[in-house]
Amino acid sequence: MDAFSHLMGGFGVALSPQNLLFVFLGVLIGTVIGMLPGLGPISAISLMIPVAFTMDPVSAIIMLSGVYYGAIFGGSTSSILLNAPGVAGTVATSFDGYPLARKGQAGKALSIAAIASFIGGTVGVIGLMLVAPSLSSLTVSFGPAEYFALMVLGLTAVVSLSGGNVTKGLISGTVGVMIALVGIDSQTSVLRFTFGHEELYEGVEFLIVALGVFALAEVFAMLTRRGQGAQTGAISSLRLNKREVKEISGPTGRGSVLGFFVGVLPGAGATVASFLSYSLEKRLAKDGKTFGKGNIKGVAAPESANNSAAVGSFVPLMTLGVPGSGTTAVLLGALLVLGVQPGPLLMTEQPDMFWGVVASMYIGNVVLLILNLPLIPLFAKVLKTPQALLLPLVVVFCVVGVYGQSFSTFDLWLLIGFGVLGFLMRANDFPAAPLILGVILGGLMEKSMRQALLISSGDLSTFVTKPISAVLLALAAVSLLAPVFGQLRRRRRGRALPQDDGAGQDDPDEQGAKVDANVTRP
Amino acid sequence: MHHFRFTQRKLAVALGILAVAYTVQAYRIPEFTAVETPVQPGSLPRVLGLVLFVLSVALFFQKPKAKEESGPVPKPKPEPVSVSELVSKPEPPGGGPVGQQSAPPIGRFSDTRLELAALLAAIGLYAALFVPLGFVLSTALFVSGLAWHLGYRRHAVNALVGAGTALGLYFVMSEGLEVALPMGLLPF
Amino acid sequence: MSRSGPRAVRAAVAVGSAAVLLAACGGGGQQDAASGGDWKPTKPIEYVAPAGTGGGWDTLARTTARVLDESNLVDRPLRVVNKPGAGGAIGWSYVAKHQKDPHKLFVTSPPILLVPLAGASGQTYEDFTPIARLNSEPLAYVVKANSPYKTFGDLAKKLKASPKDVSVAGGSGPGSLDHVGLAGAVQAAGADASKVKYVPFDGGGEALTSLLGGHADAAVAGASEVQPLVRSGDLRVLAVSSKERSPILPETPSLTETGVDYAFDIWRGVMAPKDLSESQIAYYEKAYAEMVKQDSWKKASEKLGWTDAFMGSKEFGTFLDEQNKEYSEVLTSVGLKK
Repeated sequence: MDAFSHLMGGFGVALSPQNLLFVFLGVLIGTVIGMLPGLGPISAISLMIPVAFTMDPVSAIIMLSGVYYGAIFGGSTSSILLNAPGVAGTVATSFDGYPLARKGQAGKALSIAAIASFIGGTVGVIGLMLVAPSLSSLTVSFGPAEYFALMVLGLTAVVSLSGGNVTKGLISGTVGVMIALVGIDSQTSVLRFTFGHEELYEGVEFLIVALGVFALAEVFAMLTRRGQGAQTGAISSLRLNKREVKEISGPTGRGSVLGFFVGVLPGAGATVASFLSYSLEKRLAKDGKTFGKGNIKGVAAPESANNSAAVGSFVPLMTLGVPGSGTTAVLLGALLVLGVQPGPLLMTEQPDMFWGVVASMYIGNVVLLILNLPLIPLFAKVLKTPQALLLPLVVVFCVVGVYGQSFSTFDLWLLIGFGVLGFLMRANDFPAAPLILGVILGGLMEKSMRQALLISSGDLSTFVTKPISAVLLALAAVSLLAPVFGQLRRRRRGRALPQDDGAGQDDPDEQGAKVDANVTRP
Repeated sequence: MHHFRFTQRKLAVALGILAVAYTVQAYRIPEFTAVETPVQPGSLPRVLGLVLFVLSVALFFQKPKAKEESGPVPKPKPEPVSVSELVSKPEPPGGGPVGQQSAPPIGRFSDTRLELAALLAAIGLYAALFVPLGFVLSTALFVSGLAWHLGYRRHAVNALVGAGTALGLYFVMSEGLEVALPMGLLPF
Repeated sequence: MSRSGPRAVRAAVAVGSAAVLLAACGGGGQQDAASGGDWKPTKPIEYVAPAGTGGGWDTLARTTARVLDESNLVDRPLRVVNKPGAGGAIGWSYVAKHQKDPHKLFVTSPPILLVPLAGASGQTYEDFTPIARLNSEPLAYVVKANSPYKTFGDLAKKLKASPKDVSVAGGSGPGSLDHVGLAGAVQAAGADASKVKYVPFDGGGEALTSLLGGHADAAVAGASEVQPLVRSGDLRVLAVSSKERSPILPETPSLTETGVDYAFDIWRGVMAPKDLSESQIAYYEKAYAEMVKQDSWKKASEKLGWTDAFMGSKEFGTFLDEQNKEYSEVLTSVGLKK
């Protein structure tokens, strides 16, 4: 097989002592930067670019891609420990990661995240290796109409993320979409809801909303709890038992595959992938109602998806030379300066480059796992910090995260505003997850709808005459109706189903997906 | 947290007002006529305003769940379902630790509302002084000051953590990673 | 702001440059005092990229900062600061707040003219001091390799006859770079630019993807962005927007060659706050003039597809006036000028 001999050649490149060192350095630096507030893969790569310019192109790209998936890997740490997602792709991880940490299982949550990331990353690389060239046709087959359908499918997750009260969930989701529409309209350059503030022209940065309604709201809640309910016990234990391994294997596998394909689509990326995978698993799981209260599947699914998507986003970059995400755009810029021109000819003209990177990704993922597992107990100890001290530190984390992205004090006020909003939502049982989902998908949904209608000159049938779009919209309809049918079926069967009452019973944290207490009510 | 719980009807009315205000704003978004646009920039906002209004009406007439029945529940029974536990937490810090926890409760005021207002003011002050004072000074003051207020008693450690966090983050971000945090009064 | 404002003040300030000269006689770098004064920066220079990391402005800022530092052309390091938002307006309104501050610079390109013309910025280009223009790159009008349009004329003809049947993808909002470059060319070819279905995407990459998938019929993007896909045979370039052929796409005719009298360049340059002294301007002008001669700069430019097009401060200022007039006409004809 041709790919195999190429891959062996690639390992030859990647395993040279020099490149091995760069893989190691790359993932190490990436992980560390990824853990810092607000610094995601984009900042991590931009920061390493000056260093990369002094290196030979293959080593440089090997190091930079290591920084990339290292940063995604590191991003989940603060999501789990502090409920403070540092990057968009790890927001869904906090839904169950943080409740787990509060139950005293931070170590377990972190090690599941690490393992799921490893598997997601590896599956992604296998995909990149085997099907990258043929996938470029999938990439381009997604036009505005198809993106619109995908976003609608994503938004149907609002229902499953709503928990007890679907009305309240829908309200959250609607407000989320409203937030997404603030700023200069990308289609017409008209200002919307900016109220004269230049700072709002570019819209409300997603990270501000996430840090506000999750991390800062949690700080307020911590204070109302008076610091009680902090974790106890063996927070640093990494152990997973056999049952748990079996439990997460399904979600991890599905998340990896789903994530890769979503990652291949430019503009969708890790965040959308992690949300889709989370809501898919919540639907599939028998114990779906404990999602959001510390279900380990709720950590495994988004983590495998976002890492796999990160690798998937290399497909359009390598095969078309077009960046599929902000991060790959930075990477593309770096490659150009290094004299590498990604595009359809890369694999034939510079096979060393392509296969060297692929091979280095296998190695990088292994290095990440080996590097991170021993550090987990150390990270988990963060939670042993007395709450009186931890609380101001979390605030600093949020403030630095927000300021470091925009360098604007205005955004700090926004952050505080969203913190208060998040707190009030919690106090009144409004779920925060649909809000975030609305913020992420709302803008994309509107943009692609309008692009599609512009192309079709206003003809709405464009959404159903295009096959991919029609299929996705049908899936969206099914996923909206399925819970209704599921409820009917369950009612018919009576309450013979086993009650899942273990996990979340005593957990006070209701953010994310909450149980519908009515589901099994006759 | 129960101070911040409102009856479902009150919330519905508030959301309804928000929806109306939003829709009015949405209708004030100018039409775009220069270039072909089948969907106007104001179209989706108008729909969203309407949707929010309908949802708020639905919320108004929805029968509240048992635990939400009468809005502010002074002492709800502990329930398995989520938020109730937050609400049922003993509010006055004097109530003492409940359960396994042995750490002293954080905060100084017996009224949680006052405590929250103080926290909010502290964060606001931090944001306001972030640029004028610079990252290092404002952060050190915020961390140590707030931790002291919340009842962290090891003052030396506290001062050290405040200064250490501020300096450490500053050097990592500004020097190491070239994410320029405000310098403020200090010369670096 | 009156048109002659900044320059008049600048001349006045020049008289006082002797004082600055005295104040800045610190350690003697390798800088000589040739062109009109001895001002030197006394602290690190804040170098604003009015966009997030990774875009064109950021790459320009980081590349120039690196070459200037490495070649010891500046006496204090340049620190790149990203101030993204509002198509650049956030970044330059920040710089505008620091009038007369010689330790602030920012990188710039046509949006400094286009965004204010569209009424979306509190400042205009006249609120800043032009330092130097560095390089330029043409736009490329592309279609899929199997498209029926063989020349720009074919496309223009179709756009004239039935504008509803052709959609053109671009990487920026209406009234910004790609759109103006398209509208101007279409107008010059005799079609009605305001009838063209211009579909805005987030960046050239997304626009090209949608062209490749057949969702749009044509696209307009930077020449360096389309180059790999042209080379692989996936896309065909109808024309480039510069007066002369572009070194990146040497086979492609310019608009003028295809009989369309229009030229559009994505130029990139550096500006400073208002009211700098002559000697301060001269210091930076000289540094950049030296920079474009460096080998490391030439190497980076070649790889990034930039063509050197250096202009000093005065020349750049006049150029900006001309460009502003031209853009203003195009935007008026499409109905986007505020």
